Amino acid sequence: MSILISFDIDGTLEIGDPPGAVTLEMVKTARAKGILTGSCSDRPMSAQRAIWKKYGIEYDFVCYKHLLPDLKKQFDAESYYHVGDRDDLDRKYAMRAGFGFFWPDEAAKNPLLL
Amino acid sequence: MTTRYAPPSMYRSREGVGVWEHRGKVAAVGVGHSPTERRWDERPETSVGAWSIMALRNAIADAGITPDQVDGLVIVPETTTGAFWPEDKALPQDVIEAFVQTNDPLDGIAKLSVDWLLKNMPELTNINYSLYAPVCMSNALNVAAQVVGDGLAHTVLVLKAWHNLQGRYYQGGQNAQDAIGGTSAMRSLWGAPACYGTALQFAEYCHKYNKNHDMMTPFIINSRRNGLMFPEGYWAQHRPEELTDEDYQLARWIAKPANLFDNDIPIMCAASYLFTTAERAKDMKQKPVYILNHADSDAVPRGLTPTLDEVEAECALTGRKIYEGAGITAADLSFENMYDGFTQFHQFHIEGLGYRGIGFGDALDFYQTDISIEGSNPVSPSGGNIGSGRSRFWMHTDSIQQLQGRAGGRQITGVDAEIGVSGGPMPLGGNYTVWSATPD
Amino acid sequence: MKQGVIPDQFTAPFWSAANESKLVIQNCSKCDRLQHPPAQECGQCKSGTNLEWKEMSGKGRIYNYGVVHDCPIRLLQDDQPFNVAVVMLDDDPGIQMYSHLPGTPADEVPVGAEVRVVFEETANGQKVPEWKVVT
Repeated sequence: MSILISFDIDGTLEIGDPPGAVTLEMVKTARAKGILTGSCSDRPMSAQRAIWKKYGIEYDFVCYKHLLPDLKKQFDAESYYHVGDRDDLDRKYAMRAGFGFFWPDEAAKNPLLL
Repeated sequence: MTTRYAPPSMYRSREGVGVWEHRGKVAAVGVGHSPTERRWDERPETSVGAWSIMALRNAIADAGITPDQVDGLVIVPETTTGAFWPEDKALPQDVIEAFVQTNDPLDGIAKLSVDWLLKNMPELTNINYSLYAPVCMSNALNVAAQVVGDGLAHTVLVLKAWHNLQGRYYQGGQNAQDAIGGTSAMRSLWGAPACYGTALQFAEYCHKYNKNHDMMTPFIINSRRNGLMFPEGYWAQHRPEELTDEDYQLARWIAKPANLFDNDIPIMCAASYLFTTAERAKDMKQKPVYILNHADSDAVPRGLTPTLDEVEAECALTGRKIYEGAGITAADLSFENMYDGFTQFHQFHIEGLGYRGIGFGDALDFYQTDISIEGSNPVSPSGGNIGSGRSRFWMHTDSIQQLQGRAGGRQITGVDAEIGVSGGPMPLGGNYTVWSATPD
Repeated sequence: MKQGVIPDQFTAPFWSAANESKLVIQNCSKCDRLQHPPAQECGQCKSGTNLEWKEMSGKGRIYNYGVVHDCPIRLLQDDQPFNVAVVMLDDDPGIQMYSHLPGTPADEVPVGAEVRVVFEETANGQKVPEWKVVT
């Protein structure tokens, strides 16, 4: 079963500003399980790529939050999830795009990342 | 010390009043900055008061004088980026205890008074003249230039500081309530964000001149590039991220046609400049930068938001006032540092100036040419608010540093830095300063 | 849903008229000049003694618009994206009013089109002037 998880950065990942509950180890763990991972943030897409490169983590995509529907078209997965910290810009965009949604602290306890 | 707001007579708001009576007789010498932060972490040493003191002391040191030589202060008492201290939240006790307080507990935390500064900067022993200027450094610079020129004080520190608190921009207070007062509702009921009015003018501009949003891309990329060479700026200090065409053009709309990167990022920071007479400036540490003129736009739109016609008429008038008072023409400008915090202001300002011969409707085509600091037509060498975060003062620091030859990586090289102009913010409602490497 | 409105003394005539489905705009009788938003004095003669409220025809045209995708007001965030148009009144095109243009899809705004005033309830029942495209 293929799964895609997109991570917001600021307020979501430990390296965000502010830092969030999701560690980079969790992202690596998800990738090791074969989950498609990448970021979906307000940060410039070029900066998102630079972040993954800086921390030596492979990624399948970078994206802006409002482009989640396009992301869904690009990847053929059975389940799509977005992890973010804002109601209007993360949860609502995820819902509209047909993604499942986790708050950062929920995601940090989810077996997919552990 | 009782401090009042500068009277209207201090501003040069009218056309036809001739060359500024103090042209070349007032100079900027010292520049002082605080660090930047996205939001206040509620520590005493990073409060808006502490950073104001730091900026003032840095400006004094930069000018190479002693604090007792300063006899005037012109400051902006408002420090908010849009964030206000919540009424139901206690002020941090350690911050209160770290400073000498005035009667207002928010002084030094979410606002700033001359009294608070003097209580906490005992080294300023000879301040005998002070004025407040509203909202922006651009305004305070106009006031300080006139204060020195008129001889009300001879060595003046100018200060603007910004606080930004925890929480999302403009999401609290009235905007979170179920009902609002009738006067506010006349404008705010429809939920237009801050950039909406400018976006409207830009939409009208694109329609009138057959331009489009993507044509702003070179300006955005150039501004961020210049900002990343501004060591005092937010992006250079915290997130040195360049922008690409894709980054800008695919970003989400805030109020279409203004997207996320057309908006500046609210931050905490403070800056100060030391102004003095041209005579005294000669003996100070840094090369003097002479003020040729200051100009003010005080136009009020007829309706809820300015129309493009109103914007263009006022920008043209501002350009004429700037040149008339300075005794120069557009051809004398080495560079321009007009306001950009929303990006879509900038083309109005430089078209009003007729910068490099452009007229209304030409700026976006001009952006497609070489507007870099290496070229002969540098646009916003400071990078402005887009390049370094919302301060509304990067443009002034850069103008001074360009003319002193110490703008570092941002130093313009395609043209000699001789005369520059900076100012803003709004096309209808702004203040402008003309700077020169020489007094005449 | 728009936030409710709590009329204050200064703007009460505007809101009271809206509750009666009438659009009134402040007018200086000395200058014969409308102004909106209302102010304590006439923007032209600077006098506050000749201000009155004048009923409008309720007709206008769409001058310009933007589409709001990131609204600071909590009660409107569920409706994003939405139009915020500028309507200029036929009675005096210098007078502008904002409108969500109910019935017009986001970003499908016919600039220049004729509009008519309607009155829409806000969160606390206070009515507010809105504008609909005349089809």
